[in-house]
Amino acid sequence: MSAAPPPPPQPPTKPQVKAINCPKCGAAIELRSFGKAETVVCGSCHSILDATDPNLKILQTFEIKMREAGPRIPLGKRGKLRGVDYEVIGFQRRSTLVDGTRYSWHEYVLFNPYKGFRYLTEYDGHWNDVGPCKMLPTIVPSNPPKATYLGETYKHFQTCTAETSYVLGEFPWQVRVGEEAEVTDLISPPRVLSSEKSGDEITWSLGEYMYGRDVWAAFQMPGNPPPAVGVFENQPAPVNESVKGVWSAFALHSVLLLALLIVFSVFILRDRQVFSASYSLDAGPQKGEGSFVTDEFELGGRTSNVEVTTHADVDNNWIYLNYALINQGTGQAWDFGREVSYYHGHDSDGNWSEGSRSDSVIVPSVPPGTYYLRIEPEFAANHPRINYAVQVKRDVPVLGFFGLGFLALLVPAIAVTWRRFNFERLRWAESDHPLVTTSSSSSEDD
Amino acid sequence: MIRRLYWIYGLLVLAGTSFAQYSGWSLDKTTALKNIPKSVRDNPGSYRSIYQSYHHYTGGK
Amino acid sequence: MTQPVANCPNCGAKIVFQWSSSVQTVCTYCKSILVRTDVDLKRVGQVADLPPDSSPIQLNTEGIYANKAFRAIGRILYEYEQGGWNEWHILMNDGTSAWLSDAQDEYAVSFPARIQNLPPADGIQVGQQFTWNKQPYTVSVITQANYRGVEGELPFEFWDKTVVTFADLRTPSRKFATLDYSDDEPALYLGEFVEFEDLHLKNLRTFEGW
Repeated sequence: MSAAPPPPPQPPTKPQVKAINCPKCGAAIELRSFGKAETVVCGSCHSILDATDPNLKILQTFEIKMREAGPRIPLGKRGKLRGVDYEVIGFQRRSTLVDGTRYSWHEYVLFNPYKGFRYLTEYDGHWNDVGPCKMLPTIVPSNPPKATYLGETYKHFQTCTAETSYVLGEFPWQVRVGEEAEVTDLISPPRVLSSEKSGDEITWSLGEYMYGRDVWAAFQMPGNPPPAVGVFENQPAPVNESVKGVWSAFALHSVLLLALLIVFSVFILRDRQVFSASYSLDAGPQKGEGSFVTDEFELGGRTSNVEVTTHADVDNNWIYLNYALINQGTGQAWDFGREVSYYHGHDSDGNWSEGSRSDSVIVPSVPPGTYYLRIEPEFAANHPRINYAVQVKRDVPVLGFFGLGFLALLVPAIAVTWRRFNFERLRWAESDHPLVTTSSSSSEDD
Repeated sequence: MIRRLYWIYGLLVLAGTSFAQYSGWSLDKTTALKNIPKSVRDNPGSYRSIYQSYHHYTGGK
Repeated sequence: MTQPVANCPNCGAKIVFQWSSSVQTVCTYCKSILVRTDVDLKRVGQVADLPPDSSPIQLNTEGIYANKAFRAIGRILYEYEQGGWNEWHILMNDGTSAWLSDAQDEYAVSFPARIQNLPPADGIQVGQQFTWNKQPYTVSVITQANYRGVEGELPFEFWDKTVVTFADLRTPSRKFATLDYSDDEPALYLGEFVEFEDLHLKNLRTFEGW
């Protein structure tokens, strides 16, 4: 046994950020993922290097186009997502060709030494917080395909070939500019299930939609995030709108409206006939004024309506009655003229008829009191004998108001449904399964 | 949010319909006239005593 | 829990066993691999420096599994075609030991299973199904791994292996199994995948800048 005290044990090694130099151009590169990166890109000469090789073998060099923009969120920036700090360590731009147009999107590689890797994707101002799936989703064979994962069903949105066009920073897999992968997205807003097939390998990820302003807040970015254009595949419908809720409220209110009608008709409204008389007009041209007054009748209860119904046995003829409903006591009068006409005949299409032998009018807000009608008939020059009857009812239900009420209830429900439909139409417009197809819609991508 | 707004709106519609029905409104067009003279004697100048009762001859010969 | 104390036969440093059933440990001072015999500690070799790895777990990291507290007291570091992983030897607070594997941010806890009639290394293939404890397991991948290093206390002797074969078996749930062919006799471990958050790990490694 040695006499000298043993050396103190080495403290556990603290993983360090590794500083290296690009073997091609000598620029300084920092490896910030503590040995977890597989490839790292030199920001100066755009060489893709093997991060696991101590000599940093050069795997590929690519050229960037003149005005190719870099990441909006710079490498090295840290942000808090769901309470966990992540650092942006990598960035890539990928694109796909649909109907001759190239659509590109961005992917940020995020790293936390305790939690591993996550990804932030951005397309046209729409962001997604993406992580790898721990378990395999179940594919449901159907047309179009569906998948279930963690109790949720996802509908197929799009399958396309994604090509990597620009890379920067560190990646936990082998990246190459120009590499292609078949990407399939299945949606269940606000989530998206994404599968990536490259060669024989399929990896599944789960993403959740994030608004640009929340990404900017998480990473404490200055200024404004890129504006969101259109509706994205898994963008949630506006949160405070519940189409189903509005329709169930509509149903309830419609039932209440019907109940109101019943309550009025049965309990509140008198709906009582207060006057009825029959008259006749002799045939031939009429002499004299022709106007006359009826006997008096009582209109009781509160101020309410009065229904005056005219029945006339006109046959291919008409009669026009100038009515005045006059209050015996106050002299207040309501003036209205009603036409009763009825025509019928027979032609090549069969029997036809036009008009009606009776007419009804409702006079509004008539105070109670003793009333009589002054009637002045008008008629065609030469007419046969016309018999007509006049009935007066007090306090009748006005179905028109209930009809209007029903329409008033219906209109906002339809408006909300239309808005949601429009939103979903925009959502699916960019997919492989648009809701509304026009002649210029895109065909399936191979 | 929209659902709550709709509820309030729906109740207003029901209230409006009830009010219209109870007040005896109507959708038909009628003209309400006040004070159709019952007779010629019922005119703005009828306060003059001459019209209140049987008109005696007041003129000359 | 008894904590036997002994001295390293190579450098004399004090060796404390946290677990009474540990068979092997590594002297933190001189990196000698020490094996426990009935009488004393025998030095059987020297462990090279572990390659840099980025597991957030370190020796003496504490956590909770199945409502029992545990502590990491040893580890084996493996390397295979697609990278590396750690098997942490954890000591539960009821005195039993288990394994916490840490591979590409996937964590799993498993316990040695006493099941007979395990298939030999050459008698196993992907897709094969076994039923243990009324649960069906399907072989998902067979891996050849290189042993890269050890640290701390282990329940068996493990230092002179080079290539070891493992068979991973999966189920539709979080349960999984591993057949370990490091020894002549196959060993079976039954366990389940766990989320990092659910382990409530404390005393994790610190990373520069974090």
